[in-house]
Formats: sequence, C-alpha cells, structure tokens
Amino acid sequence: MGKVMLEVKDLKTKYITRFKEDVYAVDGVTLQIEEGKSLGIAGESGCGKSTLALSLMGYYFAPLHYTSGDIIIDGRNVSTLDTDEVRREVLGKEIAYIPQAAMNALNPTQKIIRFIEDVIKVHKPEMTKPEVYEMAKERFHILGLPEKVLDQYAVELSGGMKQRTVIAISTILSPKVLIADEPSSALDVTSQKMVIKMLRDLMEKGYIKSMIFITHELPLLYNVTDDIMVMYAGQIVERGSAKDMVFDPIHPYSKGLMGSIIVPETGTREHELIAIPGTPPNLKKPPAGCRFAARCKYATPECKIYNMEMKEFGEGRSQRCRFSVEHLREVYANG
Amino acid sequence: MSGYRKYFGKKILWFTITFVVAVLLNFILPRLMPGDPVAVITAKSAQGMSEASAVKEVYEHYAEEFGVNDPMFKQFITYFKNALKGDFGLSFSQYPRKVSDIISDAIWWTIALQLPAIIVGWLIGNTLGALAAYIRKGFDKAVMPVALFLSSLPPFGMAVLLLVLFAIKLDIAPTSGGYGYDMIPNFSWTFIKSVISHYQLPFWSIVIFATGGQAIGMRSMSIYELNADYVKYSRFLGIKDRTIVGYVFRNAMLPQITGLALSLGTMIGGALVAEIIFSYPGLGTTLLSGITMSDYPLLSATTLIITFMVLITTFAIDIIYGFIDPRVKAAQFDE
Amino acid sequence: MKHILSQVFHSGKFVVGFCIFMSILLLMIFYPIFNPGNPLQIVSIGTFAEPGIYVSVYDAVDSDMNTLKLDEAPAKRLDSVLKSEDRVKMVMWFDAAGIPVDNLSIHDTEALLTLWEENYDATIRPEGMTKADRNYFQRLDGNLKKVIVTHDKVLARQDPSSSELSVIRTIEDTDYVNIKKVANVKRLPLGTDNFGRDVLKELAAAIKTSIFIGLVAGSIATLIGLTFGLLSGFIGGLVDDFIMFITNIFTVIPAFVLLILISYSIGQDQRGPTTVAVVIGLTVWTWTARAVRSQVISLRNRDHVNLSKLSGHNLFLIIFTDILPYIASYVIMALILQISGAILAEAQLSLLGLGPKTTEVPTLGLMMNWSMLYTAHLNGYWWAYFPVILTIALISFSLNLMNTGLDQVFNPTLRD
Repeated sequence: MGKVMLEVKDLKTKYITRFKEDVYAVDGVTLQIEEGKSLGIAGESGCGKSTLALSLMGYYFAPLHYTSGDIIIDGRNVSTLDTDEVRREVLGKEIAYIPQAAMNALNPTQKIIRFIEDVIKVHKPEMTKPEVYEMAKERFHILGLPEKVLDQYAVELSGGMKQRTVIAISTILSPKVLIADEPSSALDVTSQKMVIKMLRDLMEKGYIKSMIFITHELPLLYNVTDDIMVMYAGQIVERGSAKDMVFDPIHPYSKGLMGSIIVPETGTREHELIAIPGTPPNLKKPPAGCRFAARCKYATPECKIYNMEMKEFGEGRSQRCRFSVEHLREVYANG
Repeated sequence: MSGYRKYFGKKILWFTITFVVAVLLNFILPRLMPGDPVAVITAKSAQGMSEASAVKEVYEHYAEEFGVNDPMFKQFITYFKNALKGDFGLSFSQYPRKVSDIISDAIWWTIALQLPAIIVGWLIGNTLGALAAYIRKGFDKAVMPVALFLSSLPPFGMAVLLLVLFAIKLDIAPTSGGYGYDMIPNFSWTFIKSVISHYQLPFWSIVIFATGGQAIGMRSMSIYELNADYVKYSRFLGIKDRTIVGYVFRNAMLPQITGLALSLGTMIGGALVAEIIFSYPGLGTTLLSGITMSDYPLLSATTLIITFMVLITTFAIDIIYGFIDPRVKAAQFDE
Repeated sequence: MKHILSQVFHSGKFVVGFCIFMSILLLMIFYPIFNPGNPLQIVSIGTFAEPGIYVSVYDAVDSDMNTLKLDEAPAKRLDSVLKSEDRVKMVMWFDAAGIPVDNLSIHDTEALLTLWEENYDATIRPEGMTKADRNYFQRLDGNLKKVIVTHDKVLARQDPSSSELSVIRTIEDTDYVNIKKVANVKRLPLGTDNFGRDVLKELAAAIKTSIFIGLVAGSIATLIGLTFGLLSGFIGGLVDDFIMFITNIFTVIPAFVLLILISYSIGQDQRGPTTVAVVIGLTVWTWTARAVRSQVISLRNRDHVNLSKLSGHNLFLIIFTDILPYIASYVIMALILQISGAILAEAQLSLLGLGPKTTEVPTLGLMMNWSMLYTAHLNGYWWAYFPVILTIALISFSLNLMNTGLDQVFNPTLRD
C-alpha cells in the first residue's frame, strides 16, 4: 500500500442561498487516495460532484461554506488552517484544480506568461521572471505545448489548447493532488484524447502524485482512473475498482447509472440503455431514509425510513444499499 | 501588423460611410417637409428682418444653396462639397455673419467643457461602480441608489439645481455665460479667472450626470466579472485577492470604454441642454438660438458639427480600444 | 407566472420603484378629479403666485367674526414686517446716524424698537446713504408704525352717486374669521406659474401627457428594435449584415440630433404630443435592436430551437414559441428603459423649443421650458421648476429601480 496522498474524513459542506436556506451539497464524504493512484467520481449533474471537487480544496467562499470534517493532504490537515495559509501554502502547490469550464478559466486580457508569473509569485516569491519563463517553457515543452502560447492571450487560443494550457498551469508546481472537474466534457473527441493523454503523462512522469477525476461520462473513467466512486445527493453510494464498478455495480443507483451508458467493451454492448427516471432530491431537505429510494425501482417502504452507512464487501469495495449484495445480484440477474 | 492595418482600414471605411449618411440625413430631413421647403424656411427666417436687401439676399442665397431646380442628387453633391469645405452659408439671425464663424467661436467652448467633464465623470463613475461591486454590503447599498437617482436626474435638472444652490443661494459662482458679461476675451489673468469661475457649474453638472450612469454600468459589469470562471480558477491557484481584483477591474473597465462610445450621443445631447441653462457660449446655446430664431443654416450646420464630433470621438475610442483590449484584437484582427 | 410575480415583488428595489411610480400615477389620476377643469386655465393675474392657501379678502370681511385673545398675535404681526435682514439694516442706520448701539442685540426686539422710536427721523440724511436706502427706511418705519400701534380698521362702502363713505364695520386686531365660513378659498399647493396657472393641476396633466409620450415612444422603439433584433439575430447572414449596418449607423449618429432635425422640419403647428412621441420612438430603437439581437444569437442554437427547426416549424412559429418567451423579460426591461428615456427626450426637446405645440396640453418638458424662459430659477420661484425636475427624476428613478429589481430576479449573477 502506497503513501496516502489525500485523506478526507466525513467532510460536510453546504451552500447558503440568498434566502438564507442551507443546501447540504456534500454530506459526509470519506475517501482516500494513495500515491500514484487516481480516483474517478461519477454521478448525474446536480448530485454534488462538482461541489465535492470545490470542497476538497479546503478553501471556501460564498455561497459555499465549510461545516465539518477533515481534509488531510500528505499528512497535513488543511481544514484546520486559516484561509490565508490555505491560499498561500496549499492551493496550486499541494492541491490543484482544473475547472469544469476551462473555456473561461483564463483571464482574457492577460498573457499566459503573466498569469503564470502571478501564480508563482504567491508560492515561490524568490523566483525571478526569467526563471519563471524558463520553468514554464520547459514544462510546456515536456507536455507538448508550443512555447509561443506563453506570449499569447487566452482569447487567441483554441478550446483544446486553452484546456491543455489550463492543465499545464494547474500542475506547474507539481501538486500532490490534482482535482479535474470534467476537464474534457466541452471538447471535441481529438482534444478529449489529448487531454486524457496529458493527464496520464503527468501521472506517469510524477508531476502529479495523485488525481481525482470527476465526470458524468463513465467510459472515460474506466480508461483513466484506478478506482471509481459513485455519488448521489451529496453522499458516496458505492466505491470500488474501475473494473468492478463498471462490470459489477451493486448499488441500484450505480446499476442504473452504468445501465444508462454504453461501455465500449465486449460483452457489455448489448446492455440496453436505461435512463433513471426522475431527478436527484432537493438537498435543502434531504429525504430521511435512503436518498435514492424515491427513484429506485427495487425500493420497499422501509427504504424511505432507514438511513444506511457504507458497508464493506470484498476487496476494497463498499456500498450503501440496505439490501445484501447477494440479494441485489439476484434481483439484477432476474431482470 | 497587417491585422492592425485591416482593423484600422475597416474602421475608417465605416467612419466614412456613417459620415456620408449623417450629411445625407442632415440634407434630406428638412426637405421632407410638406410644401415648398425653400418658401417655408425663407419666410420663417426672413421674419423680423427689416432690410429689404438683406431679405432678398438671404432669399437668393437660399434658393441657390438649395438649388431647387437641380436634381436631388446634384443638390446633395453641392451641399456635401460645401460641408466639406466648412461653408455653411450666412446666418439669418446674425446676418451677415458666416455660420462657420459663429460655430468656430462656439465649438471650443463646448469641447473644452464637455470633453474633460465626460472623462472626469467616466473616471469617477467607474471607480465608484467598481468599489460598490467589490465592497458590496453597506457601501453598495449607499452608492447604488444615489448613483441611480443621479443618473435619473435629467442633466438640465442637475444644471438648474446646481445653479440655484451655488450661484443664487450661496452666491459663490456666476449664474450664466462663459466669462464676465463686461469682459472682452483676452489672455489677461482676470479674464482667465472669470472663465474658470464660469466653468465650474456647467462642468460639475455634466460630471455628476455622467458619473451616475457610468457607476451603475461599471457596477454590474464588475459583478459580472467577479463571478467569471477565471476569478474562481485564480483563487484556486492561491493568487492573492488584490491581484484578482486587478484582473476584474481591468476587464470590467475595458467594455466601459465602448459603453462610453455608445452612450456618447445621448450624453452630449444632455450636456448641450445643460449648457443652455447656463447660457454657456457653446454649441448648445448656438443650437437654441438657431431654433428660436428660425436660423436654418445655423441649426443645420450645428447639428452636422455635433454629429461630426460624436463620430470622431467614437472613431477615436474604437481605435484606442482595439489596441488595448486583446479580446477585440482576437475578434477583429484575425477575421 | 404567479411565481415570477411573487419573486419580483420580493425584490426590495422593485417594490420601492413600484411604490414611487404608483404614487406619481395616483397624483396624475386623482388630483384632476378633486380639482377639475382645464389645467391650462389662467387663475392668477400676474405671474408666479407663491404656494399656499388663498383666502378671498372680499368674502372674509363679510364673514362672521369671532374674537380670539391670543398673546402671541402682536409678536407675530411684528415678525411679519421685521425680518432679520431688516434688523441688521436698522443697526446699520444707527451706525450711520452716529447713535451708540453698544450691547444691542438684534434679537432683542423691544430694545431695538425703543431705540428706533426714540431716534429715527426721516429728515436725517446720514452720510453715504443712497436715496434708495433712505426710502427703504421710510417704508420700514411706516410698516412698524402700522403694527406697533394697533388702530382698529374701518370698512366703508362708497356711495356711487355722492362718493360718500359709510362705515359698515370696524375690524379689531382680535377679530378672526373661520376659514370654513369664507365662501372663496383657493388652495394652490404649488402656486402658479409664469402664466398664472395652477402649477399642481398643470403638473398632474403634464405627467399624463409625458407618460403617454413615454409609452407611445417606448412601444414604437421596442417594437422596431425587437423586430430588427429578432430578424437580425435569428436569420443571420445577409439580413443580419444589412440590419446591423443600419443599426450601427444610427447608433453613432446621435438620436438627439435626428430628433432636433425632424422636429424642426415638422414645424410647430404639426407637433402634437403623439407626433413628438412617434418621432422619438423612430429615433431611439437602435440599442434595443442590438440588445435583442445578442440575446437571440445566444438562444439560436439551443436544443429546443433546433428541435423546432428540425420539426419544420416556420420562422414565425419558432420566433413566437421558442424565442420570444425566453427574451420576454429582457424585452420588458428594455421597454421600461425606453419609456424613461423618451420622457427625458421630450423634456430636452421642449427645452430647445422643439416640444409639442404649447396651446393644448402641458408636458413636463414644456413646463420646464416655460419656467426657464421666465427665469423662475433666477428669481427664487422654486415651485415653478423644482416639482417638474423632481417629477421627471422620480419617474425615471422609479422605472430604473423597477428595472434593477427585475434584472436581479431574471439575471441571477447580479444577486447579492
């Protein structure tokens, strides 16, 4: 077992709306990633996965607020640090973020190199501008990005190039954890491939020590990450290796989610496309029992009463449904 | 570099077309009047002229200028040529002064008054708007309604209120004119002092009126920018708030420059009417005398000059803006 | 719809704006009901009567009188003729006449008056005092004598044939008339204007005309802008190029200048409020067109629009069912801005003497123009121009405020 890079214990965060209502977007998430490993987080839109990405950084601004829980990066508990320390010492350096909408992630009226200088100035104030330029040039070269991008404005770059530039900037200080929030969802297929390849390269060359990859496209996860977690209504409902999760989902939500996509692998292609009817619950007032019960076709009335914790079963796997794994497998087998 | 040239060329072409259309409208609108325009205008203009020879001369001059017997197109060419030469004929009301002389006396007063006032108003407004957006809370709550009220106050209303308060109640500024009524323009110290004291009230009434509108525009622009993706991304890279605020205000301020160009016409219109309240010896007062004295050549030339001023300023703003905002560069130059 | 309305009325800004606007509308509707008649009727001979309640003296002297013993009455009477600037002038007179004024406070009315009575002599001609000054002091002295010594006043009737006076009644300083018993009392809350017309009545009528102009001009501008914006944004291509060409030209050529040229060309006799409104509407549509166009372009490639296109719906159906509902809130906001812009445009035109013709109805701009022509602002007749400025500002302010409120509801990034 490798060194644990990121450990999150029972993290809870909430949004406070302008009508002063609380929305419990991340409700008790626990996870850990070892050095050299990557974790995929999947779920429908609105299930809280993007909020989880933001919450993992240990830095919160309105309307998102921290409630409780610990975030430990390489043995250091960042949730006890104050905001300034987090920004100076953690963000961009220990943990880095690739936003969902990289199209607009770069300041349109600033040259890329000026932005990189601003990033470095916070974390390594001792570096001079020529040093920063050399460093950026080298990193861009390794990642296969043209050097002239440094002297361009974001508006002059194509979509794919912008996304790759964002990845290069996010990882320029070789962070221990990289959080990529749907980094390829808005791109064309070629650019998607390049982005994925780039992330793999970064992992292999050790520029990032671990990665969390968030997406709603499951086939992507199967190819990119070691493990997969499925998230529903602010909670983790199932966790396992990528292969297990795709071919043997246990929780009915995972099952539905896997069913609603087509995995390009022999043997799975003939699975029919099942979309899960309904939408995730309103997290202002989360349901009392199982949060998926209202949409679950296997649910019994009891499901709406009993709230279950994650239960381990088998090698590194756990899930939240109150039914036994055997029962569920049997139900699935009988259609 | 050819990109710049193309952009510049395009703008020049555009400017020329607009100018021709403006002259055309100036030419054609009075000719759309029902009835015989020459008879109507000359009859109106000759009212109150005692000298028979003057009336006759005006009549002949007018008939010649309108060239009623020529085809419309030829009439326009003559008009256009004369306009380019700055030849607008003789004034009816201040016969036999040349219209171009009257206007060249007035135009510098207007430029010296309005240009600095609009620039100062723009700067103050943008600063206040940016602060309101950034500080929010109390400051915003105070600045917003005040700015909204100030921008709702018609410019002539602002002028009247300032005049009554400072020139009449407090008696610390003169009520009207561009300099003491008993003076002859020269470069003596007393004259300059008089000009400066007469300058204050018209200047500030235009400044205040320009400030309100700009502050509101800048505030929403800044709020929009503060919510932009690049702000979030920069924060997650640990960049200092001060640096980020710098990005935001630069980006919010740049479109405000175009905003200024777009609202210039309305602003100058308001400012001209404010001039009238103070009987300031600028184009506003010239316009008013053109209208009240039915001095058609004077009116027509004044409106043309005002249009020309607005056109030139808009053109200049466009050119400057193209150089400083890379967003425009990317959108326009690479077409 | 109900939900949107409740959200809109949750916005403080909208509610404040709405209340201000409603109060103006209420004034516009109800004042003419309580005070009917032609708003342009001349009620006072002479210009700029001060705001207040006017009591008919002719009727008052014939009304039943009551005797009221009021201690403060003499002092008040005195104050009405002895203003503080008069007191200062009195001290100046003492100075000029060489009378010692040590320890004399100008607020000590009794001491001041005693000194005055003892020393004032109209025949003295202190050095450096102009004839106008001496006349002033004589007048002041006369006024003071009138109020200090209270003689009863005698009301007499003149016999037309013999010119003899016969006493009808004596009026004492303690006689009072109940204002309710006086047959003719006229309230002029905002006095009269330069023509002697009731300003408040005129204002109520002017608000009506100005709002009418705003509505007509705003609707025309919005309709043109909306049509051009929709066609330009949705069809694109050559249509877009052409419309944008026109729009850009008219954005740069100031609408203000076009307004002046057109209004001047139409001529005073043809310019009624409707004509003026139409002209304003025809010149200010450009930015609505630009704004609608950019909204439509952002909508053009949405899934539901594409679906409609694929289903073979025709252009108008798509525009009415898939585009218009999405930009409706935006168009309403543009309309509100256009209305307040048009009211302001009318005011500015009128100040230039190009407003609606002056004989039929007042508008806010015309009222402003009249009061400026008669230099009300230079002579302290605030009631003739200040209410007009305030009304224009409040109409515009309330509309802008409502717009900001709507913007916050429909455009969530602007929320707090």
